[in-house]
Amino acid sequence: MQINLRHKGSVIILDIEGNLVGPNTIELKKIIDDQIRTSGDEPVFMILNLERVQMMDSSGLGVIVAAYASIRRNNGRVVLLNIGGNIRSLIVMAKLVTIFDRYDTEAEAIASFL
Amino acid sequence: MAENKQLRIFLSLPSTMQLIYLLDTVISDLLREMKFNEEAQEHVNLAVIEAGTNAIKHGNKEDTDKTATFEFLIDDDRLTITITDEGPGFEREEVANPLEPENLLKSSGRGLFLMEACMDEVVYEAGGTIVKMVKYK
Repeated sequence: MQINLRHKGSVIILDIEGNLVGPNTIELKKIIDDQIRTSGDEPVFMILNLERVQMMDSSGLGVIVAAYASIRRNNGRVVLLNIGGNIRSLIVMAKLVTIFDRYDTEAEAIASFL
Repeated sequence: MAENKQLRIFLSLPSTMQLIYLLDTVISDLLREMKFNEEAQEHVNLAVIEAGTNAIKHGNKEDTDKTATFEFLIDDDRLTITITDEGPGFEREEVANPLEPENLLKSSGRGLFLMEACMDEVVYEAGGTIVKMVKYK
């Protein structure tokens, strides 16, 4: 799995490629935790770009739910970008569809933070 | 009437999570060969990964001296998967419902729910150390 970390202004963008399954999810969790820690008391605004994620399991869901909960505590937001059918149905199945804001373009996702 | 020729595939894995990706490869090829539709393939694949994670991580505690076994029984109309671990087992009714509002933001506890949502039948036997799952075509 590959994760590319980018910044656009104050927005953190993680481009994730591969399957968010099992031990693969540890790396994503570490990167998200590092970003939250680095931000200190400042709110974090994060986009998880899942365009190149074909599969996610409960471990992957757990990582993005934990990110949502941690980031929200500091009045930040995490949103999902470009989720495919597999991931969308997983999120619906787990009743997380009302929790995560989802966008089809990076511009829309960034604008949602303004 | 055509005879149903049942095929059996058996895997025995040492309990390391790195081997979870091997399951993905095996089951993906098997499901394509059985001509399950795409959604069913994704669901079975996810259920096997979840059941494998439960057996290796939660059952056998990633002790490589313990094995997790996976039996795939292929019939014309269904795939039956039986996963066995050497752990202490668990009580299904004691596992919290991840869809309850108080559990929605928990970072774990969705594995059994996803298995049950993705398969047509899921049965826990031998105190939870054996899980039998069925998907019909």
